Amino acid sequence: MNKKNIVTALGYIFIGIIVVIAFARISSFSNKPVTSELYSMNTIIDISIYGPDKEKAMNSIIKEIYKINSLVNDFSDASDVYKINKNAGIKPVVVNPITIDMIEKSLEIAKETNGAFDITVYPLSKIWGFKGGKYRIPSKKEIEEALKLVSYKDIKINPQNDTVFLKKAGEGIDLGGIAKGYTLDLIKKTLSCYSITSALINMGGNILTYKMPPHGRYWKIGIKNPRGSGIAGVINIKGTKFISTSGDYERYFIKDGIRYCHIMNPFTGYPSNKITSITVISDKGYLGDALSTAFFVEGKTYALKNAKKFHVSIIGFDRELKHFISPEISDLVTFEK
Amino acid sequence: MKRGDKILIIIILAIIGISLFQILKPDKTNKILVIRSDGKVIKQINLNTSKDTEFVVKSREGHLTVEIKNGKVRVINSTCKDKLCIKEGWISRSGESIVCLPNRISISITGQNDQPVDSITY
Repeated sequence: MNKKNIVTALGYIFIGIIVVIAFARISSFSNKPVTSELYSMNTIIDISIYGPDKEKAMNSIIKEIYKINSLVNDFSDASDVYKINKNAGIKPVVVNPITIDMIEKSLEIAKETNGAFDITVYPLSKIWGFKGGKYRIPSKKEIEEALKLVSYKDIKINPQNDTVFLKKAGEGIDLGGIAKGYTLDLIKKTLSCYSITSALINMGGNILTYKMPPHGRYWKIGIKNPRGSGIAGVINIKGTKFISTSGDYERYFIKDGIRYCHIMNPFTGYPSNKITSITVISDKGYLGDALSTAFFVEGKTYALKNAKKFHVSIIGFDRELKHFISPEISDLVTFEK
Repeated sequence: MKRGDKILIIIILAIIGISLFQILKPDKTNKILVIRSDGKVIKQINLNTSKDTEFVVKSREGHLTVEIKNGKVRVINSTCKDKLCIKEGWISRSGESIVCLPNRISISITGQNDQPVDSITY
């Protein structure tokens, strides 16, 4: 082989390398996600979708979110939830099958958590000022009266004609503890109908990771620091999962040095205060969302024990901000110092 | 070696040099502050090069004031009722964000690469 041939060979090799680099650049460019940020379901929603059908999937998902919001938003007098609450003790109301399904799933978890998750806490949320109006500490008598109206057993569903009825006047339901997770379940189903390689949806802190992330092996999900800014830890998530958190720092007020948060304890009538935050990792969105509320109400021991029973994993922070975690995921979580 | 070969070698070396430089150049993680109002991006600021500053962000619902200092960001004023955006304090790392729900304004830091988190659960 003479010098000329070597040079030519080298030339081909390097042209090849450059072509490969160019392709890598182009493909990383075409692998850009379509993203959207919207306000619905009383919260902020961020969506990123990767894959050939990303635009189509995004359109379907946004429509789906608005649809569900129109059913469950208790501030809108056109919603199913508003109608059910308004007709409590009066008459059954015909609602959308999606609303029925969501209430049935709520009742299923209410039974399995012995009422720690209870969508009928609405009268309590109201007197504490978490349903519009001003935050306030109600009198003992007010709390006792409201507690009489809290019972998931008073929800009567008739699946034959799609009606829901609350037994007593003054009762009300609030689907805020399950609707976001439930919607993520529907979104997952929608994504699977399209050619999507990867997606990430954050609906007011409730997250769906869909398939593999566009980078690396794990989705990196930060857990909000319950006190102060930033994150308290990072979870490595593999593939499609739902991550939900309940904490006392989202909506709360402080009176005389005591913190009162928006998650009502359906047994005492007071805001829950056993822990500061709990994150649930689950294969079902509605389950993780509702369980994070139930575990927040019941606290550390209950959460650790029952996570296993429901096939979910948890990471929580107690009142001293010490963490507790399901043993099976301890290798996947790093805590900030 | 002919003159043509030399030129070819020089060209090839130049191309190698440029592409290696492109591949290996230290990819400084640019932290970009993205400000959205009603879901639309209205401002992007490179935090690595930004001077200390304060500015107002408006939306249909109200407005708030953002402060940037030493590459850190916080909300110092807002027309919202609960002021949770102010209580949030400073953010500085990519992946972190401050959301003012009543005003429908979000302020988030994104990185070009090596983002420590993809999203935050709360």
